[in-house]
Amino acid sequence: MSFSTGITGIQNMAPELPVQASEDLLSTPMFNLIHSFGVDLHHAESYVGKTTRMSRFERLSTDGGQLDGSGIDPASEVPVRTDIDATMEIYAKSIVTNEQVILYENSKTLTKFTALLGQWLREKEDLLMRDLFSSSVSYINATGGLNGDQPSNISLNDVNNIENILLGNDARSMLTSLEATLKFATGGVRDAFIALANTNLCADLQKVQGVLLKSAYPTQEGIRPEEYCSISRFRFFVSSKAARTPGISMKGNTVYTIPMYGLEAAAKIEQNNYTAVIGYRPPWVVSAVAQNSQLYAKFAIARAITNQNWISGLNVTTFQPS
Amino acid sequence: MAFTIVTQGTFTQGATPVGQKIPLPSGADYFVATNLTQLGAANNNVVIKGEWYGGGLTARNDGIRWRKITTTGTVQMDKFSNGTASGGFTYFNKFPEPEAPVVGTAITAANPAVVTMANTYSDGDVVQLYNTTGMLQIAGMAFTISGVSGAGFTLTGLDASGFAAPATAVTARRIGRLAPVEPRFQYVTKITQAAQATQATVTLSEISNYVVGQKIEFQIPGSFGMVQLNNFNQPQSKPVIITSIVSDYSFTINVDVSGFTPFAFPASTASPTAALFATIAPAGQSTQVNPITGVQTGYNFQYPPFHSGDFIPYMYLAAGDSSPAGGANSVIAWQAYKMETGTINSPVPS
Repeated sequence: MSFSTGITGIQNMAPELPVQASEDLLSTPMFNLIHSFGVDLHHAESYVGKTTRMSRFERLSTDGGQLDGSGIDPASEVPVRTDIDATMEIYAKSIVTNEQVILYENSKTLTKFTALLGQWLREKEDLLMRDLFSSSVSYINATGGLNGDQPSNISLNDVNNIENILLGNDARSMLTSLEATLKFATGGVRDAFIALANTNLCADLQKVQGVLLKSAYPTQEGIRPEEYCSISRFRFFVSSKAARTPGISMKGNTVYTIPMYGLEAAAKIEQNNYTAVIGYRPPWVVSAVAQNSQLYAKFAIARAITNQNWISGLNVTTFQPS
Repeated sequence: MAFTIVTQGTFTQGATPVGQKIPLPSGADYFVATNLTQLGAANNNVVIKGEWYGGGLTARNDGIRWRKITTTGTVQMDKFSNGTASGGFTYFNKFPEPEAPVVGTAITAANPAVVTMANTYSDGDVVQLYNTTGMLQIAGMAFTISGVSGAGFTLTGLDASGFAAPATAVTARRIGRLAPVEPRFQYVTKITQAAQATQATVTLSEISNYVVGQKIEFQIPGSFGMVQLNNFNQPQSKPVIITSIVSDYSFTINVDVSGFTPFAFPASTASPTAALFATIAPAGQSTQVNPITGVQTGYNFQYPPFHSGDFIPYMYLAAGDSSPAGGANSVIAWQAYKMETGTINSPVPS
């Protein structure tokens, strides 16, 4: 493609165009980090392998147990233990910088690149936790919506169905209640489980019967910016990177998965001394003529669903195909 | 060191060649695979070398192919996409999303169900099916496919003989064989009601990587019948344990389901309001030690721990004599190159 500049020769030059940098950089886009919110944090020690085992004793049976006075002991029960294992994995990112960038083009380049690596570190961690939720949890298709697809768009019945599943499995809610206050157009919020949704679902969330948008909470104090609304016993947190799979609904539309969980449903395991490593390799190390330097970030993470009883969720489509 | 071999290796195909995933920790700007077996053989119409350029220069499932066009070794260079029965290189720097849809015309109501669809899939691929007109109870499910021909494939994990009618249309999208995190949830297609305890057989729609001793939890909507197998109906809510592996698709569990409501798919006509799907999800493992032999059983250390499904990024090489991963018993040498300076001043997307 070409366009006219109006410059036809040395008799018709464009004016000089001086350029100066504004006082600071513009913001680097960052998505909402919601997938580590509400998961348990465990620590793995060094020098004992890369598999972390989390164990749980299952409940004892409440059948029988009565003593009849005959002196005969009741049968003893062997406790059952469930082991959940997770493998530690290490992720890393580096930036190589030429000295001319630092010399000519910007100030505090290394500082800014360090901030970029720090952002990468947290974003990558968030996506890894998202993948755990989308891969290793059973979801039920929403069917209460009216878009005629399978799964349908989200509805109150679908949300209540998941609450039934979690309560039936003795899951504990994650967030404490917000007591109602004497403010117009607000309402109390019950103690709640957590739900994680894609931002493409916001329009549908607003239409669910009984939805309480965040602005209608009795208080905004301590409310996370990622939170969008409350429906039934769930408080919804949204991210543009929350799980979605294009083109796999009954009609070929995008399917969104919404993990919905309570306490101790999932875990993130940090490796001791390897949670967030950021380092710098100076030019005389990286380059034969000391022209390139390197910044790097590393972190170790293991992830696991620690109790399938206490996590469930919905597959949904949007009311308007997306 | 402006242009460096960052990784290299070899692999040998078995009697049935399969596509190969080659992990590339630092990505690649150039990738080459050489078929050492065909180089020395007097074969016609075989690929002896394939090349791939990064930075978007090579299309997905394509690349440059060096092909013998006579038995005496005359070589022709063109693209893999010029061949009718060839695949090329595909570089994945993130977990693959569902591929482009492929439309088929039928799914038989048989055991196993057979799909009629012109395709280029391979045995063991996983496809997500939808638009299954007349068989909407499976719309959205993922299946491992087998018996693949250019005209269709078999859904070994689906007994559709009880369905009211065959499907008269179907659309498929190929997805990854592994999920981003394994072990993953999987779809249940059948649960037998054996008369004896601990003998119920569960069949999945995909090849299962579950092992004996692994614990699972069922999520069975009321529309599938056997809700008694849902976790909260189990004694003390304990997870179910896999007791034996029956086949690639099925295993037995330690629950006597003979008195339960039979497991059955809802009717197609119940969609889209019938709740779908019946699934299992990994819930830990149970190990046993035989105190006499000292042998520990019930745990495959490689699979049950939660871990990433695929190492990303990786290069996928399609299999076959006309493709870079080679045909039966071929020995392939491969090298991945990285342009070091290109990553500093003029980044090469990879």
